[in-house]
Order: sequence, then C-alpha cells, then structure tokens
Amino acid sequence: MPDFIDSLTLAEPSGPSLLAAERARSNISINELANHLLGHDGFLQRQSKVLPIILSEPLFKKSTQANISRPERFKLALARGKLLRRLADKHGWTHAEHEMAEYLVDDVSPYMLHMGMFVTTIREQGSDEQRAQWLPKIEKWEIIGAYAQTELGHGSNVRGLECQARWDATTREFVLHSPTLTASKWWNGTLGRTANFAVVVAQLMLPDPKAKGQNEKETKYVSYGPHPFLVQVRDLKTHQPLEGIVIGDIGPKYGYPSMDNAYMLFDSFRIPHSALLSRYSSVDPETGLYSKPAQPTVVYGTLTYMRSKIIQHARLVLARAVTIAVRYTAIRRQFADRDSPPDDKSTELPVLDYPTVQIRILPLLATTFALHYTGLAMQNIYNNTRKEIESGDFGSLAYMHSMSSGLKSLCTTLAADGIETCRRALGGHGYGGGSGLVQLNTDYLSKVTVEGDNWMITQQTAAYLIKKVAIALNPAAKGSGSDEIDLQFRTYLPRVQAEDNTVCEYDILRNDWDLVRAFQHRATALAYDAYQDRVVRKKGWTSLMVNLHKLSRAQSQCVLVTQFYLALTSNTDLSKPATDVLWDLYRLFALFTLEADRYEFFACNAASKPDLDAIPERINDLMSRIRPHAVRLVDAWQIPDYLLDSALGRSDGRVYEDLFNRAHRLNPLNKITVNPNYWDDEIVKGEGGGGEDMKSILAKL
Amino acid sequence: MSNPPPAWVQALKPASPQGTQLLTQERAQSNIDVDTLGNLLHTKEALQKQDEILNVLKGEKVFDKSRNHVLGRTEKIQLALARGKRLQQLKKVHNWTDEEVYVANELVAEPTPYGLHASMFLVTLREQGTPEQHKLFFERARNYEIIGCYAQTELGHGSNVRGLETTATWDPSDQTFVIHSPSLTASKWWIGSLGRTANHAVVMAQLYIGGKNYGPHPFVVQIRDMETHQPLENVYVGDIGPKFGYNTMDNGFLLFNKLKIPHVNMLARFAQVDKKTNKYLRPASPSLMYGTMTWVRSNIVLQAGGVLARGVTIAVRYCAVRRQFQDRDAKAGTEENQVLNYKMVQIRLLPLLAAMYALHFTGRGMMRLYQENQERMKAASQADQEKRGAGPEQLRAGSDLLADLHATSCGLKALASTTAGEGLEVCRRACGGHGYSNYSGIGPWYSDYLPTLTWEGDNYMLTQQVARYLLKSARAVLAGKGTANDTSRILQAYLARRDKGASFDILGDDADIVAAFAWRTAHLTFETLKYRDVEKRSWNSLLVNFWRLSTALSQYLVVKNFYEAVTSPELTSTLDKDTAHILRALFRLYALHTLEREASEFFSSAAVTVRQIGLTQTSEVMKLLDEIRPHAVRLVDAWKIPDWQLDSALGRSDGDVYPDLFKRASTQNPVNELVFDPYPWNENVLKNLGGGAFKAKL
Repeated sequence: MPDFIDSLTLAEPSGPSLLAAERARSNISINELANHLLGHDGFLQRQSKVLPIILSEPLFKKSTQANISRPERFKLALARGKLLRRLADKHGWTHAEHEMAEYLVDDVSPYMLHMGMFVTTIREQGSDEQRAQWLPKIEKWEIIGAYAQTELGHGSNVRGLECQARWDATTREFVLHSPTLTASKWWNGTLGRTANFAVVVAQLMLPDPKAKGQNEKETKYVSYGPHPFLVQVRDLKTHQPLEGIVIGDIGPKYGYPSMDNAYMLFDSFRIPHSALLSRYSSVDPETGLYSKPAQPTVVYGTLTYMRSKIIQHARLVLARAVTIAVRYTAIRRQFADRDSPPDDKSTELPVLDYPTVQIRILPLLATTFALHYTGLAMQNIYNNTRKEIESGDFGSLAYMHSMSSGLKSLCTTLAADGIETCRRALGGHGYGGGSGLVQLNTDYLSKVTVEGDNWMITQQTAAYLIKKVAIALNPAAKGSGSDEIDLQFRTYLPRVQAEDNTVCEYDILRNDWDLVRAFQHRATALAYDAYQDRVVRKKGWTSLMVNLHKLSRAQSQCVLVTQFYLALTSNTDLSKPATDVLWDLYRLFALFTLEADRYEFFACNAASKPDLDAIPERINDLMSRIRPHAVRLVDAWQIPDYLLDSALGRSDGRVYEDLFNRAHRLNPLNKITVNPNYWDDEIVKGEGGGGEDMKSILAKL
Repeated sequence: MSNPPPAWVQALKPASPQGTQLLTQERAQSNIDVDTLGNLLHTKEALQKQDEILNVLKGEKVFDKSRNHVLGRTEKIQLALARGKRLQQLKKVHNWTDEEVYVANELVAEPTPYGLHASMFLVTLREQGTPEQHKLFFERARNYEIIGCYAQTELGHGSNVRGLETTATWDPSDQTFVIHSPSLTASKWWIGSLGRTANHAVVMAQLYIGGKNYGPHPFVVQIRDMETHQPLENVYVGDIGPKFGYNTMDNGFLLFNKLKIPHVNMLARFAQVDKKTNKYLRPASPSLMYGTMTWVRSNIVLQAGGVLARGVTIAVRYCAVRRQFQDRDAKAGTEENQVLNYKMVQIRLLPLLAAMYALHFTGRGMMRLYQENQERMKAASQADQEKRGAGPEQLRAGSDLLADLHATSCGLKALASTTAGEGLEVCRRACGGHGYSNYSGIGPWYSDYLPTLTWEGDNYMLTQQVARYLLKSARAVLAGKGTANDTSRILQAYLARRDKGASFDILGDDADIVAAFAWRTAHLTFETLKYRDVEKRSWNSLLVNFWRLSTALSQYLVVKNFYEAVTSPELTSTLDKDTAHILRALFRLYALHTLEREASEFFSSAAVTVRQIGLTQTSEVMKLLDEIRPHAVRLVDAWKIPDWQLDSALGRSDGDVYPDLFKRASTQNPVNELVFDPYPWNENVLKNLGGGAFKAKL
C-alpha cells in the first residue's frame, strides 16, 4: 500500500469545523427538543440502554453487508435475529427494548412477522382458550410464526382470496386447499425459510344447510368469507414442510434482501377445528353452523394496527434521510456565488445555501415534525379504540379504519418520496453506498404497496367521507355522528354550499389557525364535490377514482396540518427559541403543501389569488429563518451514527475521510485484480490462465 | 438448483381467465398497426438487426440472466467483465459495427466494466487528440490494446470543473508534467471503468506553468502495469464500493503522488504547452466541443423515451392481466376488474405512455437539428469561429443556432431524464406488490438509470444555463436584436400580443396548445428578467425561478416536437388513419396532462382561463384516457422490446405472468436451497450444516 495516502490532508475548511459553525449559529436546545419529541414514552432511554450492547457485538457490524450475495445476506440476518433474542433474554429486555434493538440493527429481520403480525393476530383474534394455549409458546419462540394472507393473484382485495378452508363434518376438520396457482400464498414475510407456524387467511367454506348431500362429494359449499386459521407448516425437528404443503422464498426483491417472503400451497391439507381463530366468529363443531361477528369489519383490526405502526415509523425514517441531507449539504460546497465580488470567486458556497437545495430539503425537515405529531395522535386513537372494542363498542372502528387508510397512503408516500428527494439532493455521492440512503430507500419503498396499495386504499377513506357528507346534509340524521369528520363537515359544508362562496375568508399568510381552516375548507369542498358526483349525479365509481384519491389526500393533509397546529398550541415543555422555530416549520409545511395544490384551494375559495401569488416569497422567507437552525433541528432527532450508517451524515462531519475509508479499506472488490484484455478468457489475474475461472462463472449460471 | 416442485403443484393453473387470454383480448380490441408503427419509430432495418443480434446473444450461456439478482457484488462484476469480453469477441466474429455492439449491450441491459472505455475515453482521445496522439493512443485504445477511462470528478468536486484540485505542473527541466493530488478530496472519484479495469486514464487536472494556473486540461496517464495489471508506483487506485445501482461497473478512486508523464500525454488539439518557450498555446477553438456535448445530451433525450418504454411496457401488460376488486357498480358475482380499467391506474400509466412517445420524437427532432447545424458549421468560415471564447455563453445568443441547441439540450436533458427516471418508479408502484420483486424487471433497471439524472450535468445545475440563455435572448429581443431562432420568435410573439392578451383555444385547436406553452415560457422569462435586471435580485435567490423557467421551456419544446411529429407528412402518410388519430390523442394527453399539473403557471400568465383548466382536468383528460385505453397494449407492443431484454415475469408479451413468477421463485432461487434452524438458542443458522456457529465475513 503506497505510503503517500496516509499523509494526505483535506482541503479546508474541514467538515467538523463546518458543522461546529452550523451548531454555533442556533440557540435551540437539542436536548430539550429531543425530550419533547422522543422523551415521553421512554424512546430515548431505550435507545441509550440498548445501543452500547449492540455496538459491542461484531455480528452487528454493517460495513460489508452491501457486498454479499442474497443467500449470505439472509443467513447473516437470521444469525443477527437469533443473537438479538438471546441478548434480550440475557439483559432482560422488554418487548419495546427488543424492538429498539431491531430498529438499530436495521435489518428487516427474518423474525419480523413472528414478533408483529403473527402474535398480534393471535392476541386479537384468538379466543381466550387459544390465547392461553399459544401465546406462551409464541413468546418463548418455541414456535415461530408468520402471517399468510396475500396470494399470487390477490393483494389488497381480501375478499378475492382463493385459498379455501372447507369444513369436513365427518372428521370435524378443516381442509386447506389451493385450487389454482394464483391461490398460492405470496409475499408472506418470515414464512419462506424461517417459520414453522402461520396464520393462514382462507375462505371459510361450510356445507350449504339448504342443500346437504349424502356424502362430502355431493355437498354444496358456501363461502363465508376470509377467516384466519392457525396452521403448523413445518416439522419442528427437521424444519421441512409438512406433507401436503409446499413453501419457499419468492426470490430477490428491490429491497428486503434479509427477509424470506414466501410462497405457500396446500394440497387438501387437514387441520383441526381448533385452528380457526374464534374470538369473533366460529363454527359449531356439532352442527357446522356459523356464528358471525357482531361487527363484520372487526377482522380488519390487525391491519389497522399495522397501518398505525407504519405511520409512526414514517417520521423516524424520514428523519434519518433528512439528517443525512442537512448535515452533508451544510458541508458540501460547490460553485462560488455569482454575485460575490470578483476577488472572492474562490469561496464555494455550502449547497444548503442554495434555494434549489433548500426547497427540496427544508420542507421535508418540516414534514418530519408533521408526521411525528400525527403519529402520536394515531397511536392515541388506536389505543382508545382498542379499549372500546374490547368492551364491545365498535363505534370508532370505521372512523379509525378509514382515517388509517388515507394517512398510511399519504405518510408513507411522503416518507418514501422524501428519502429519494434527499438522496438526489446529495449529488453524485448520494448514489454511493456511503450515503446511507441506499438500503433505507430500497427497504422503505415496499411500504407504498404493502398493507394496502397506496392508491387503492384511498378509496376506503373517500367512501367514508362521502357517507359522512350524506349524514351531515340530512337534517333528520343530525346529531347522529359525532366524530371529527362530522364536526368538520357541519362547520364547513354550509360555507362550501353557500351561493356567495366567492370570497375567501382565511388569512393564510398571517394567521396560523386560518391555515388549518383553509385545509378543512378545501377537504370539505372536495368531499362535497365527490358526494355530488357519486350520490346526486350517480357517476360511476371507477370514473371518479382520480378525484377520490385527491379527496383522501386532501383530508389526510388536513389531519397533518391540524395535528401539527394542535400540538404546538398545547405544548408546554418547550422554551421560546424552539417553539418559534417549530411554528415556522408548521407554516412552511402547511404553505408548501398548499402551494403544490394551489389550484384546488383557489377553485373552492379556500385561498385568494393574491395570497397564493405571495406564497413563494413567504416560503423563501420561512426557509431563510429556519436555515440557521437546520443542523440542530436534525440533531434533535438523536439518530445514532450507527443507525445512520452514512459517511455523508456523520454527526462529526468527517465525511470525506469516512468515504475514503469505506472505499479503501472496507471494499472487498479491491482484493481482486482483473485481466482486462477481452481476448483472454481469464477474469481474475492468476486464477484462470487457461480460462478456468470463466468456466466456473459459466457453471454457476 | 432447487428440486422441481411436486406433481400436484406442477398441475396447478392460474385462476381463469388466463393472462394469455386477457392480452389476446386486449390486442383484439385495437386495430393499431403495430408493425408499421414499430418501423416508423425504429426503422425496419434496425428492428431486423436487433433480431439478428438477439439470436446470437441468446445462444451464449454467459448472457443467461437468471442469476443476475442473487450474486454478491464481487461475483457480479466478474460476470459483467466476462460478458464485456464476450461482446468484444462476438464483435470480431460477426463483424459488428460499434453501433451494433451498442445494440447488443442494450439487449444485455446492464453496464459492463468496459463502459467508459468504449464511450468517454475513446471520444475524448478522438476529439481532443492531435493526429500524432491519435496514433499513439486512440488507435491502440480502439483495439482494446490499452483500456481507459475518463477521470474528471473528485471526492470533493462534482459539476464545478473549475474547482478540481488535481494538478499537472509543467517541469521545463525534463519536459514532463507532474500529476499530483494535493489532498484527500482531490482523489478522483466515481470514475467508471477505473476501479479494477482500466490501465490508462484521461485525467482532468489544473495546468500550472511557471506558477500560473491555466485551468483544467486533459492528460493521458498510464495507471497500471500492462503485464501484472498492478497500479504503477505513486498511483493509488481502487473501486469506490457498492452503490444504489450500477454495481456491475467499477467506479473508481485515483490518487497521484507527483507522477511524471511525458509532454506528448497532454491532449493538445485545443491547448498545449510549447516545449521551447514554455508558453501556453491555443491552436483551435474548443467551440466544436459544445457540439459533442449537445449530441450526447440529445442522445440522452432520445434514449429516455426507450428507457421509460421498458417500464411502461411491463406495467401496461401486467395491469391488463392483473385483476382486483369487482367494479363497485357491477352486478354481484361479476369477475374482478382488470386494474388497467381503473382511472387511478390510467392516470398514472397512460400519460407516461404518451411521454415515451413524446420524448422519442423530441430526441429525434433534436438530432435532426444538430445534424443540420453541423453541416452549416462546416460550411461557415473558420475565421468566424476563431474569434470566439471557450464558453457557450460567448456564443452570440439570439442569432446562433448552436447556442440555441446547446441551451435547449441542457434543459431537455434535465426534463427527459427526470421524466424517465421518476416514470419508472411510478410504473413499478403501479404494479402493486409484485412491482417490488426483482422479477418485475423494473427495480434494478430504475436503480441503474438513476445516475443519468446527475451525470452530464446535474439536472438542477443545468437549469441555470438554460435560464442564463433565456435571459440573454430576452435582453436581445427587447433591444430589437433578436433573430431567427425559435427562442427569439416565441419571445417576440409574446411581446407583440402582451397587451392584447392570449386567449388560446386549448380545447379546440391543437396548435393553440403549443402556443399556450410558448406563451407561458415567454411570460416567465420576462418576469424573471424583471427580477434580475429591474429589481436587481441576487442570482442565488432566483435559482428556484430559473429551474421553473427551464422546465417551462423544455416542456414547450417537447410539446412542440411531439405536435410537429404527429402532424408531419412523414407520419400521416405512413400510418393508417386510426393509428395516426391515436398518436394525435397521445399528443393531446401529454400536453393537457402537463398543462393541468402546471395549472397555476398557465393561469397566472393568462395563457388560459381557470374555466379551461377545470374542463381540462375533469373532462378532457378523462375523455382522452377512455379513448386511448383500448389501444394501450398495442401501443407498447409497437416499441418492439424483446422479452429477453425486458427480463420481466410481469411484462411478458404473452401475458403468462403467474406461471413465470412461480417458476422463477421455486426453481431459480438459491435461497430455497437453505434449510434453516429457526430457534434462537441454537447458534447454527442452517440445519444441514450440523454444528458450528455462523461465521459471517464481517
């Protein structure tokens, strides 16, 4: 290794001095803001408890994982998942602490579905007896479970599933069967190689009581819709699939290399009566008769739970991307200012001073906070609703489900697109493995189609809103609804409908509450238009889909703006400097969002043309006020360097040393020397003079 | 490979209707003449050539794509080098031209480690070398006797070439240049083909003579031994590590410790150091070089159409096969609806279908203008060329076709590559969950394409050049000096009608749509000029306006080129009436959908009324979606992208989606050879390995 490398220095000014200067420009207390964001539910305490343990284990080093093949990457992830569980036992971690460790290691763990959907489904949909039988085994990891719902030909439409569970009255068993290839379970995480149990969602088929045949073959079956069954799928000793079941991993994906998403098929596979998770619906083993749940939508409870988790996760994901982007663009300098004096053309500007960079990153910085406050609100709603459901009150379920759909769609789209926007704002280095945004990007992109495709599920929110408009417009039904949506519609529908709705009442540039009102007004106006189109003019549902999507987005944006506003007005723990900047972030988020859809606001008089024309100036002004605080604001998210795994986003600013170290010392490709001449079949010098290595490459294809 | 699935699995069929049936129905409901349209797009000869080359490649084991997504980086790049070698060997065997090798590479559809040798290294030697240097370097490079790369960007320096730190200091005592990296950030970085493959590099370095800096210049530097392939002394070189995509390319770093190279290694066509006087000389004007850059960018625009076409082909075919949910308004028991019938799928895919045609015709139009201009420049007097300075700004704005082409190619490159890159991701998401699988054929293609958004000029940075040119042209027009190029024309037309208003009939007259885009561009130009010249706002504070201005101009150019193509006699005389009519509908969809998304700029500039925008949004665009929908599959078929190139289970031309997905997962997936031990208390990861803890190569 030539010795001149080690003596090289960096061109001045260095990254550390630039970040120190950035931090000196702002008087926000990082700790105070961090506690405000992540202190209340113990997040920061968990992080500082678990992180040192993770750092001390060599298995969790991330330095070469981007180079290895998929099978190797997957084995690594399983080894890590095992070690994490052993560490959890050793250190007596709570469930939340174990989750924290998974979050820091940042693999999509092969055990993820076992710890998430599997156990949650048993807990929420298992009878008391089933809970008592299975939950202890699950918690001890004596059985490892997955959740098998989607199929090769069927995604978001649960009713379209083909996998069948037929009741055999003679043996009192269910017969699981995949009648076609498209009935194959598909995409189910943890199932491909890891799990030995699964919750299988299948069409419950019961004999038609009106047309009972003499034997099973003549019996006519009726489907009672999709239901969850707890099924053992692999042998507990040999780990081979049981007879009559075929399972495997579905192959390489855009991201998620460490997860074994599965396919699974059943060939008339028999399972006992007790396999049907029967908290809400059940089959009488004597008569084969079905008793249905009090509320049909209750089976969507788990899905709603997953969505609320996804929404809460979105803020931290986006915060990671924004942390990297803000720190690196504060360090990276390019081109001198064109208007600088001729004798000072040599000083290049930090790119974060460019409005073309600010307009991409600072609104996303504001978005992290918007997502945070809405995530907290969703969590509260979910917890309250769960309590009500447990006590038999299903009143809020529809509200929660419909809001969770629209918010899941909007929040994950904001985060996924935000990561990519940040990555591109980093210039060329954003494309490199040292950016820390490659795995984050490819892993997170699954979120825009998982647990309900982001475009499809907005129909649920829109349908709910249209129903609510009908209720609000019907005087006889007045007082019948009392959720947030009912209140909003009662306030704004009269204004939207009024003949003289031609003057805008909201001062969006100067009044923070008026911003909320403008968003509520516009969402209500879109809901009213959709109601007119669908209910009054009877237009086809399919033809309205684009508008319905816009409606769901408008209502979800309205929730984000409202929750941001409410959180700031009720905040008591922040001192003035931080509060002032948060208000600016609120304004930036709201105005930036509004500007992108300015035509919609203008068309319903939620904003006036002079105000709309003035927004770009106002946004510039807000960005220049936020700019000095940018580094401290991202510091407040307290994302450890280990989790960032980014040369560009390091908290100490040693960007270029780290990039070089990764290329120079941590890159296995530099250990091979190639033969570049095309007429030689030899690929690696010294390994294949006679073309042996070409032969071995071909043999693997 | 994995054991074949049991008989009962092999006997399973997808639920009816089959994908093949659905695509057959799709093709039956449209009378678009796929072959004639295909020939119009690519020419009959090119399509025949593509078939011939495809047959050669399919017969070669090394191009088998089934393991592309499962290899580790080190294995992957070795396979890519093996493929690169085989392509060159086949070139010899079949006597392929460079153009034909390019087609072969497109079909293989991944970068090879020879990529930058074959493009930038050869181009730079050819364009910037003297006849003597052509003999010394270019001839050998063309025969792959030396393998090179183009080393410009550095660890700390990207788009701003003037900021490069690497130095080349002229030493008169022994008549050599000393190449040196003064700091770590001076390390060359991102250089394709450099990391493991090249033994030479064209190095851009700051030229110093007698202590004075003459700016960045190109030098040919040998970096590795021709026998051992080890780096030469005082050269430190390697690969920069795994990336978002492009992992079959060895992007490299490179540092020099006072390495001496001979005088002849400075590429001397446009600048040289006189050996006797030690003086800096400029024997020719580099303005022709801007022609090369313009050509490269026009090519990116043309290719962007084809890049996007791959994603759209896959998404349109799969969305015609995939069915989900019954129509809410249909009778109970009706089959699930094809997702391509959903408006929310159409609104994402069909404008992209229109965009791929728009970009293709725009790229074609640019190339034609470029060639016309090259002819004219050759005819023009050389004396006129000599007087000009180096930069494109020095070309006379408003009067010079090259200046116009150069500026517009910057903006179009930014718009076209962003449209294609982001469009691919839209296509991937439109495929729902299966789009996330690498068997979709979109994800890796997208991540390999993404660097195009930053190379040949970062898309945001480029827009400044466009704005600078527009402001210059506007000043010239205001001073009465504008001349006969298109940019001057639209600015003059705007000034002439500014006080009378526009009132374009965008819903009734297609030519008016083009005029509305021109109007909006001119309006934004004069508005920005007012900020800069009258209100004296700083350059930096206007960057967002510049970006908008560049986008507006580029969208105008795409709309104009597309309109000219669909109304051209070449097209209308070749295609039957129905096909020509649908292409016209695609033009309207592209233009009106763009107009609707940028609605506020159109009504602020009074190019159209709010009422017209409302009608466009709620009625006209929806009508166009309905009109184009039945032809969608045939419109992608006409691009003639072979299945082998697509390498997509979802986008197969026969629609047999689900059996293909299942086959790839169950029989081409090495993960299924692993049997796990799932229990955390057992340290071993695999059942069949017996004892022994997992040892990762960390």
